Amino acid sequence: MKSMKSVTNALKAYGTILAGLVIILVFSILRPAAFFTVPNLINVTRQISLLVVIAIGATLVMSVEEFDLSVGALASLGGVTAAKLAVAGVPLVLCFLLPILLCFCIGFLNGWIVTKFRVLSFITTLAMSTILSGVVFWLSGGATIFENIPDGFTWLGSKRILGIPLLSLIMLVLILIFWFVMRHTVFGRKLYAIGGNVKSSEISGINVKVNKNLAFAICGALSALTGVMLASRLGSAHPTGGDGYFMNSYAAVFLGRTVSREGVPNIWGTFVGAAILGILANGLTIMQVPSYLQDILTGVIIIGAVIVQRVTAGKKE
Amino acid sequence: MNKKVLAGFTSLFMAGSLAVCGMGMTAFAEDSADAQISGKKVSILTPYLSSVTTKQMVDTLTSGLEGAGAEVNVVDTKSDFGELASRIEDVVTTNADAMILVSADPNQVKTQLNEAFEANIPVFGVDSGYIEGMQVNATSDNYAMGEAMAKYLFEDLMNEEGTVIALTYRPHPGVVKRSEAFDDLIGNYPNITLITEQEVNVEAGPIESSREIMESLLLANAEKDSVTAVFCAWDEPAIGVTQALQEAGRDEVIVTGVDGNSQAVELINSDSNLKATMSQNFDGMCDIVISDIVTLLSGNEIETGEKYAPGELIKAE
Repeated sequence: MKSMKSVTNALKAYGTILAGLVIILVFSILRPAAFFTVPNLINVTRQISLLVVIAIGATLVMSVEEFDLSVGALASLGGVTAAKLAVAGVPLVLCFLLPILLCFCIGFLNGWIVTKFRVLSFITTLAMSTILSGVVFWLSGGATIFENIPDGFTWLGSKRILGIPLLSLIMLVLILIFWFVMRHTVFGRKLYAIGGNVKSSEISGINVKVNKNLAFAICGALSALTGVMLASRLGSAHPTGGDGYFMNSYAAVFLGRTVSREGVPNIWGTFVGAAILGILANGLTIMQVPSYLQDILTGVIIIGAVIVQRVTAGKKE
Repeated sequence: MNKKVLAGFTSLFMAGSLAVCGMGMTAFAEDSADAQISGKKVSILTPYLSSVTTKQMVDTLTSGLEGAGAEVNVVDTKSDFGELASRIEDVVTTNADAMILVSADPNQVKTQLNEAFEANIPVFGVDSGYIEGMQVNATSDNYAMGEAMAKYLFEDLMNEEGTVIALTYRPHPGVVKRSEAFDDLIGNYPNITLITEQEVNVEAGPIESSREIMESLLLANAEKDSVTAVFCAWDEPAIGVTQALQEAGRDEVIVTGVDGNSQAVELINSDSNLKATMSQNFDGMCDIVISDIVTLLSGNEIETGEKYAPGELIKAE
């Protein structure tokens, strides 16, 4: 009886992780030669690296109970700006850093509008996304930028260190940094406090506006980094290249919330969520499952996870 | 029972579904008849399966290759080139016998295609571009088609005078060539003025998006004869524009498209605003690639490079 209870407790704590492991197990059994191989698992880490980076930003914004719907457009802007700078002959380090700085400022602007004018973040960031889409089309002329991009531009996206893609290592470093920030720093605790109760946070002396602004700004910077990583990975920048990451980043965060006992956005949970989405896409492609079925399965898993999270949260309340 | 436990069981159920899917796909493949390339795995990848013409090509390729005995799987990434890059990597991981890109600029996934080239996976394109390392890209001579259509519009339909609106989507490798031909040619007609060029939002649906664009442009050009013609770089915007014009009662505006899709041809024959299109020989392109894949996978050599399926002007009787 006691062992049954401990199994139940383990499932409670690690249900989503277990789901991910079951998915890996099924793919490994069905396609052992193609799926469960070191090269493919490394391949998966590279594929999810961009989603994880952008989703970390979304995690920060969601931890203060806000949404940033402009993450996809910010990623597109980051990629296109980096490519344009590279074509213009700007040193590569600046090509990678300037878009991140630019989007940090845009993210801060998002936060400032939200906190200063008390506009819903949904509306503010949706409008910002539209503006940025226009800017990206203007910058790129609507076309993919790939001509005259220097060879070194793909360094970030193609470099391997000890056989591990640099993109995967960047993801890992960012996970560790932001896990530490959210878990062990005053800033992280303030974000969770704001997300838990804004009024109480204000009364307890937390500068809600500044912290929210910073969450949006970091989210903008990480979105741009995703765009830069994508452009470097592809060796080209597409004007809507980052758009696809918007929905998946929030899907990863929602899945990740179910990993936390408190049901709050958290960095490791977001990683698990992104990994589940990435592994599903990779495994189903390897199994040659039609893409519409991939969408159905992915959607069902997200809805299932979010319902469980909500029901659990409701029970607590 | 705890909800997270339920999530665990749900994931097991989903994993079971995956297993069934996997077995079903294998069984289907084993049914293939005694054909020329029996059991060969061919992956078709496109970011634009929602487009009528892309779907038409994918269906033709699928039936043609399956008829030859190949196992075909189709991957659609819904305008997402980052996703397309990941799926190409997966196809390389599975060591497919051939890969076909449909309506996707290979320059945007050059790094991933290089991996396919290194793995000796033959890469074909249909209505895509051609880069070094690919076997064949079968397409129309998009520049020639755009040039012929624009020339017919300016000289035969507009009598070398009036105003024109252009609708395009420059990120598409074929569409951009038609628009470039239009740009090059319009300078030769001093009495023809370009009012504006608008980018169609393909993610929102090219017909709906172009219809909305045209409705707005009609508000800005409300007077009869203020717009002489609309040059659409492919047929779906031409259909949307025609619908908007019919609803507004602007019978005087001439519309042209390119592609020759069945809905457009129907509109041309029903005396609508849509007066002409240039048929792309999609079946011809698919035939070229099917034939080359069968030849190559049967152990014979093929001529590599870009191959053209000739187009034809379709106009109102």
